[in-house]
Amino acid sequence: MTVVDGSRQAFDRLGANFKGRMVLGNGTDQHVLEEAGAAETDWFISVTNGDNRNIMSAQVARAIFKIPRVMTRIYDPIRERVYREMGLYTYCPTVVGAAIAKTFFEEGPEAADRARAAVTVSEAANG
Amino acid sequence: MAERPAYVIVVGGGKVGFYLTHRLLKAGYEVALIEKDRIRASSISAQLGSCACLVGDGDEMAFLATSGIERADVLAAVTGDDEDNLVACQLAKLNFKVPHTIARVNNPSNVQLFQKLGVDIAVSATELILNQIDSALVNSTDIERMLMEGTDRAVVRITIPMGEAIGRRPSELPAFAGERVLLMVRDGQVVEPDSPLAVGDQILIFTGRPSSDFLLGAPTELATVSP
Repeated sequence: MTVVDGSRQAFDRLGANFKGRMVLGNGTDQHVLEEAGAAETDWFISVTNGDNRNIMSAQVARAIFKIPRVMTRIYDPIRERVYREMGLYTYCPTVVGAAIAKTFFEEGPEAADRARAAVTVSEAANG
Repeated sequence: MAERPAYVIVVGGGKVGFYLTHRLLKAGYEVALIEKDRIRASSISAQLGSCACLVGDGDEMAFLATSGIERADVLAAVTGDDEDNLVACQLAKLNFKVPHTIARVNNPSNVQLFQKLGVDIAVSATELILNQIDSALVNSTDIERMLMEGTDRAVVRITIPMGEAIGRRPSELPAFAGERVLLMVRDGQVVEPDSPLAVGDQILIFTGRPSSDFLLGAPTELATVSP
């Protein structure tokens, strides 16, 4: 696994046990992604705080590096819909969170827990 | 000309957006400037007078819909962030069918990417300046021109430097579109005039283009500046 980030502090937070590579740079920059090995990558996910940065780097991953599975996070539900229709695989935490909140208020905590479990990766699954 | 002035939406009210809007208004276009920062937007409004300066995010669909975007002829996204310019142009193109989208690009290697991703025109100031530098250098060392007096016709001798032109035929290069290669010389031997170019080739071209035009067009493919 390779993590690309524009700030060194972000790498410190990964901790000493992190076995992957760390590449410092802008993830929308083709040269940075190339250095990160994008040409030989099978999976790609963009999850910065900026919707547009995620959208752009996912499109670079797909159009330039032909990465087979590309996923991107978009907070803005409307923008998410547009890019999903365009063929990017996107997810929107706002929509997922709203669905859990709606379940909690309308059906109670047990139902909300089941909804959460459906979208939660267990710690044990982390390799 | 169209009966009504063209409607241009400018996204981003920084220095580029401000002067662009100013010039567009002066040229008689209908312009709406979109700027996120409220204080910056009101300062622009005060300076540009009656121009519609809208406070909002050029990447937010609901907001764009209030800008009259569906009747816009051109959307120019000129913020300092390439990703914001890309998304503004893509939304304009995909969702609002704006016929012409133009993006300012800060990282020159994004020019081709943006065009691949559906932006009609991507403009990089960095690249333009780079080309001017190439042009200045190529101009002084590798290009010699003989202008036919009283006309805009010239014979130009070019020594091919290292660059993107290497390995391509003159007829494949936009820089030479419509030009006639009279002679190509390699290592002192005359070769077929449309041979793939090699470093150090000398070519003689007959051109009818005004001088500045030819020189500005040529260096993009002809030159990369060696340190």
